[in-house]
Amino acid sequence: MTTTATTHVIQGETVALPVRVRDASVASAMFAVPAGPAQAVIGYSGLEVARPLPGRAICSLAFVRYADGDLGPYHEFAVAFLVRPPGRARGFGAFIHWLPVNQAFTLEAGRSIWGFPKEMADIPMDLSGRIRRCAVRVGGRTALEVAIRPGVRMPGRAAASTFDAFSCLDGVTRRVPWTMAPHGVRARPGGVSLRLGDHPVAAELRGLGLDRARALSGTCVEHLEMVFDAATEVRS
Amino acid sequence: MTRTALVTGAGSGLGALAARRLAAAAWDVVAVDVDADGLAATARRSPNLHTRVCDVTDPDAVARVVAESGAVHRVVHAAAISPLGAALEQPLAEVERVLRVDFLGTVVVARATLPGMLARGRGELVVFSSLGAWLPGHLTSAYASAKAAVNAFVEALAVEHRGSGVTFRCVCPRQVDTPMYRAIAARHPAATGGAKGMPPGRVLDAVERSLARPEDDLYVFPDALTRATVTAKRLLPRATRHVIAARTDPHRS
Repeated sequence: MTTTATTHVIQGETVALPVRVRDASVASAMFAVPAGPAQAVIGYSGLEVARPLPGRAICSLAFVRYADGDLGPYHEFAVAFLVRPPGRARGFGAFIHWLPVNQAFTLEAGRSIWGFPKEMADIPMDLSGRIRRCAVRVGGRTALEVAIRPGVRMPGRAAASTFDAFSCLDGVTRRVPWTMAPHGVRARPGGVSLRLGDHPVAAELRGLGLDRARALSGTCVEHLEMVFDAATEVRS
Repeated sequence: MTRTALVTGAGSGLGALAARRLAAAAWDVVAVDVDADGLAATARRSPNLHTRVCDVTDPDAVARVVAESGAVHRVVHAAAISPLGAALEQPLAEVERVLRVDFLGTVVVARATLPGMLARGRGELVVFSSLGAWLPGHLTSAYASAKAAVNAFVEALAVEHRGSGVTFRCVCPRQVDTPMYRAIAARHPAATGGAKGMPPGRVLDAVERSLARPEDDLYVFPDALTRATVTAKRLLPRATRHVIAARTDPHRS
């Protein structure tokens, strides 16, 4: 495995790793999808989807407002799949399949530092209302629209936990240590509306049945701190 | 189409967070403060967030910033100071400064930005006031007077320009967990009632929700405690005044 550098120059500015996010707000939804078609979607990464239930994989959609972080303020949408971390017998990782953002600095940083599949999009979102809403528009066409109902407040402040995120860009799969400390979490089963539009990723999600699936859960996080460390290449 | 927002007091606290949230939402943001370092921190790695070091009490400087900003759709006026002092002891120069920054600053910003919005027939003028304007406590006479003047001014603006297409919001939060409030609470723990400030993000969420409500819904009371306190002041003014006096008494043990 090779480790990437701990500083990167992005648009003339030096970004030091780990990258810290001090204030983000998130809404997310999890869906159980058929494992075979899900594996076909992420096959290009060389990773294997996790199957927490027989024949089922987990696809997650999330939208994030970064208000204060090392990559500046921006909006982001994520399509991720739960995967088995290569070389480990247990545990889960999150493979980031699609990650549109609405600002150029984070676009370049995300692609060049970690190989995250970021692309430019318009990502209007409403995280202040009771129902959290987001749309992703690429080239003026709506790829998808999501609405997530808030659910009940989870007690206490969750401790920071570290996961592995995985990316695959230009044929290189990478592992990214990713730490999250959420505060103000609301969750519930279901409660997610998803409308898929006209985009290749929307077509993939339609192929997984997301246009008619009931979400396993919807989660809203009022305040999230995150740390992204250096990526390491995963060789199969 | 990219919309432009002008945010004052954008060097820290509520103004900084408002500026960054708007920048995240792809607004073109003109961030104003007297604190150049604070502004630079707010605008870090945010190419659509433009900083202007400017004193909101200087009408010419504010007019220049507005002239350079193009058509401003939303103004978020958060610039304010709040030094505490007993009503008969606070130096007169300090009282004057509070009134200049908090009240006259609001007048200057409104005069610079509102004519353009009125001419375009749309826009949003969001002014941060305070629960203190409704319920002065110990040591807050200058700040509460200035914010009460702000309330009256914004209410008068809303009356004079009703139906103009411009939305006015006068935001009256209780204590907000900002660097300014933390410094005051550290210096005057009793006078702040020992209250923990509410997260600034929740205040801005309440503002955002309020902008979806009818145009003439002027006041924003951002959380249940703020709403309950204002209601208590309206219905039980004497009892509420006694409670506030007791809770903010700097000599209480």
